[in-house]
Amino acid sequence: MELLIQFLTNTGYYLADYRHIIMLLIGSVFVYLGTAKQYEPLLLVPIGFGILVGNVPFFKGFGLGIYEPNSVLHYLYFGVTTGLYPSIVFLGLGAMTDFSSLLARPKLMLLGAAAQMGIFFTLLSALALGFLPKEAASIAIIGGADGPTSIFLTAKLAPHLIGPIAIAAYSYMALIPVIQPPIMRLLTTRKERLIHMSELRQVSKKERVIFPVVGMILCCYLAPASIPLLGTFFFGNFMKECGVTERLVKTARTAIIDIATIFLGFTVGASTQGDVFLTGKSVGIFLLGAVAFSIATASGVIFAKIMNLFLKDKINPLLGAAGVSAVPGSAREVHLVGQREDPTNYLLMHAMACNSSGVIGSAICAGILWSFLV
Amino acid sequence: MYGLEAINAANGWAMAYTGAIIVFSGLVVLSFVVSQLNRILGFWESFIKNFKPTQQSKQTDEIKDEDTFVVPHCVPSDINKAAQYYSPVIKELEQPFELTSLYAISQQKGFPHPHITISCFRQANILVPEGDGLFRWNQPQNI
Repeated sequence: MELLIQFLTNTGYYLADYRHIIMLLIGSVFVYLGTAKQYEPLLLVPIGFGILVGNVPFFKGFGLGIYEPNSVLHYLYFGVTTGLYPSIVFLGLGAMTDFSSLLARPKLMLLGAAAQMGIFFTLLSALALGFLPKEAASIAIIGGADGPTSIFLTAKLAPHLIGPIAIAAYSYMALIPVIQPPIMRLLTTRKERLIHMSELRQVSKKERVIFPVVGMILCCYLAPASIPLLGTFFFGNFMKECGVTERLVKTARTAIIDIATIFLGFTVGASTQGDVFLTGKSVGIFLLGAVAFSIATASGVIFAKIMNLFLKDKINPLLGAAGVSAVPGSAREVHLVGQREDPTNYLLMHAMACNSSGVIGSAICAGILWSFLV
Repeated sequence: MYGLEAINAANGWAMAYTGAIIVFSGLVVLSFVVSQLNRILGFWESFIKNFKPTQQSKQTDEIKDEDTFVVPHCVPSDINKAAQYYSPVIKELEQPFELTSLYAISQQKGFPHPHITISCFRQANILVPEGDGLFRWNQPQNI
């Protein structure tokens, strides 16, 4: 009988408190949104299920939890805390990215830079709210709308905040269809939304092959701390474009990125143990994340309008919203908003140019912030 | 510490504007380089195009020099015609010569079946023995 009672006191049912229940609910919502609503399922399903797994209460000291040394989850989490998974995800991302539209119209790259202003505004806001500088920088990077970059920088600067920051970043990425369109419509007139972009020129294979080399050298020399992200990103893209490593590219854009995404999502989800996750700081991070994401979207749109003051060949200011690096969600949203005004207006390829420059921009920002605060 | 005091203490303003300037200038430079990439490649390709004809003319000259070495795809049945193809090869050899030297050069030039052809030249008395394993080329009269 005593043995039975001892066993029962070690079960999750006995050890659970309200925080675990809240987290189980949050995890269930993520899984529901991913599966039923198909909001970013590749991210929300692993994260959501990871939250469920991470919030099973257990007897401390058994080597089960993600924060307990020598546990299996701890070893899987190693890829997050060292920045390994984000780097691998960037390799696959590079192998999937087509820079043709960006090469055809390089000025759209400026929108990718403008959308990073949300990061620096949020940095100031987080500092003002009392976060430590390293925490503030980690929160600010949510404005880049890039999950792997957010995780990478947080792992380097404020590892104790990986859970809330990753959840915030991925939540806002999944909520792009909710967050971005109102901001886009608020900041643009109907006339502006109707602007048709001129056709993109044909980009030669040589340009596409040379770009990742030039891009890597210019960006990584500027911010060497971004090498783990941009080095693999441009390497993946070079493999894709050079045309002689088809097998490697195929693996990078399928198996490798999928494996990294699964473990990244699952372990980040599992790191949100109720007792660690449900704090006042997490609430602040969520609020600041929303601010960062909104300002990033707005600054891209406003900058596009400013560019139009000087350009003969006007650009559709909606494209500015795709300057955040949520690939391809924000580009798709820009396209849809444009099509709602005029079904013959195809903005997707142009928006992808801004999107891919946003990826580069946010990775540079991560490198800059890391080097400022190390 | 909160508010402006916290921002100032963490050197937040400097971090924010320096960071913004760096990322902006980085992407402006990249954008500029990318916009010039097309032109640079265009310039390079036109340079290569201009450079190529000189190379080609050189090659043509070389071919002209070597024009004398017309290598037939198959050995002509007419032995005199075959001898016509072989006469430039003979010019490279000092008279008299060893058949092995003729064979080596013919093979090097890519003549088909040089062994059989040389044997036919022997039979047709186009290759005349001089003794000591040496041969002289007896040019057929009707060439």
